[in-house]
Amino acid sequence: MNKLHLSEDEQDCLQELINVAMGQASDQLARYLDSFVYLKVPSIESVDADSLATTLDQQQAAMAVVSQGFFGYEGIRGEALLVYQDEDSERLADLLGYEPDELSKDEQLIDISSILTTTFLNVFASQIENQISYSAPKLLPSRANSLSEHLEQLTFNWDLALKVNINYQVTDYSFNCNMVLLIPETAINNIKVVLNRILEEL
Amino acid sequence: MNPTVLICDDSNMARKQVLRSLPEQWHSNVQTAQHGAEALTILRNGEIDILFLDLTMPGIDGVGVLQGIQKLNVDCHVFVISADIQPEMQSKVLGLGAKEFLRKPIKADVLQSNLEKHGLL
Amino acid sequence: MNPGVLTDEVTKKFAEKLSSKITDQLNTGILILDTDFNIVMWNSFLEVHSTKVSNDIIGKNVFEVFSELPERWLSRKLSSVLQLGTPNFCSWEQRRHLFELPHTRPITTDCEFMAQNCTFLPMEESGKIEYISILIEDATDVCHYQGQLQKALDKLALMSRIDGLTQIYNRKHWQESLEQEFAKARRHDKALSLIMFDLDNFKQLNDHYGHQGGDQVLIEISKTIGNLLRVEDVFGRYGGEEFAVILPETSILGAIELAERICQTVANTPIKFKESNIIATVSIGVAQLTERDSHFESLIMHADDALYIAKNNGRNQVCSGSDNELLKQVSA
Repeated sequence: MNKLHLSEDEQDCLQELINVAMGQASDQLARYLDSFVYLKVPSIESVDADSLATTLDQQQAAMAVVSQGFFGYEGIRGEALLVYQDEDSERLADLLGYEPDELSKDEQLIDISSILTTTFLNVFASQIENQISYSAPKLLPSRANSLSEHLEQLTFNWDLALKVNINYQVTDYSFNCNMVLLIPETAINNIKVVLNRILEEL
Repeated sequence: MNPTVLICDDSNMARKQVLRSLPEQWHSNVQTAQHGAEALTILRNGEIDILFLDLTMPGIDGVGVLQGIQKLNVDCHVFVISADIQPEMQSKVLGLGAKEFLRKPIKADVLQSNLEKHGLL
Repeated sequence: MNPGVLTDEVTKKFAEKLSSKITDQLNTGILILDTDFNIVMWNSFLEVHSTKVSNDIIGKNVFEVFSELPERWLSRKLSSVLQLGTPNFCSWEQRRHLFELPHTRPITTDCEFMAQNCTFLPMEESGKIEYISILIEDATDVCHYQGQLQKALDKLALMSRIDGLTQIYNRKHWQESLEQEFAKARRHDKALSLIMFDLDNFKQLNDHYGHQGGDQVLIEISKTIGNLLRVEDVFGRYGGEEFAVILPETSILGAIELAERICQTVANTPIKFKESNIIATVSIGVAQLTERDSHFESLIMHADDALYIAKNNGRNQVCSGSDNELLKQVSA
């Protein structure tokens, strides 16, 4: 996570906050979904702008991406991308207990992504005594390069991407999706301030 | 007589959070471990009364430590403190002999009331 | 009111009045529900657009008042807001509208109701979520323009593939299709044949009837031949008066049969131009993909060679090539 220029303590603190947030979000989500799904505490890595495009581009052919902006106090803002493999996204919709014809696959995917993102970030925000608002989630068009195009057209320059690998386990199935948090530099600095406040309190 | 305590967590911050939640007078008897293997080495000597244990750690994880404790027949009270709070995980560790399952981030009042519950405070 | 002597209480009242005024002038619908999904409050936007009366709806269940709502699905969505304490969304792009409200672009739009973006927000009261606020934004304009844009884009995409005169595929698109069909045939080990043909004596035809006459012939012949083809065949204008048809999963025998039909149909279909009936004929070359063809272009070459022979042999006829072995089999 060196791209962040975080000290070892700051990095440890951030990882711990994310672990706790994802743990609680998973639990809430599992309850909401009648315990059909549970998620393991995720692994986290930071990715810089260049390598994000290349990492994700490799999988691009068969990928579904849902994006959702978030913004809180103290300049903490960014955009969350949920990246699914196409076949997983279809399976996910089935597994989440929606009626088959009830709504489109796209809508199911957007729904579940939004729930994941907002539950996770809400818990994260409450730990750092912040409150986060969200823009409506959007499914990126499913064609080659749509992710790269999207990254170019963001309304802010992001300097860091936190890639959170989420592992779903549902009885017989297990599959992965990546949550990528794109965070601009000003927000990183603000997060650092918060991290240091927490560390000082210890 | 204050109990001897071991805090096992790969996160420095999490270890500090636990430490801060313990009574001041215990602090001189607290040891820490950064992963399961280190914890088992310390536990093997049999001088630990209370273990605060994280689950998700590199190498030997929390579940591995609980299994090790059973195998080595170590006598100590284990409190699991974890971010992974799925019901399945809770029943698993309680089945492996943990006294309580506490969710992160740990709060002093919660920790102390649980210690009281088991007559340790 | 003298702002200098405003007490806190007065300021608060003033702010409340102001915010309720703004709420009622917003171009966004606001609907507040309690945890049983009963309507607690709404704003003028909804009252005006739904043509319902406030007294009739406050305190009633939202699914009773707006019977068009998909109850099962929306209940689950609303529950997620209550249970998880997180906002939820619904976009016109997936679900054009939730509430059946008339829109303000009456005739030109193709949707009957106001397209909507809805946001469902949890509202906390002393640490507990007591209400859900539903915001309904009119997205009809966006929806309308997006639809027009998509139509324009589709048209553009089509235009870039079509030959303006004959309305069949242009050479660029035709060639791309051949490349794909070539790859497909190789991958699945399937037959692939090609027909290339040329209008006979087109120059004289042009000289005699003028370019308009020539154009008319190209247009009519394209139509006639188009009617003889299967959906999967790819028909394109290769050059001035040269055309080509890709025949996926077709052996040379099938291709020759079709070529003969094309040849006869063209010769037997006079084309009306002004006072005259123009009789046009075509010369056709046919080829099938062989093991030895490492590239799609060699298939074109074989068909073109056969076409050349058909011309040399006196026009208005079919000739097949591509492989001597194949030819022998066919003639045997």
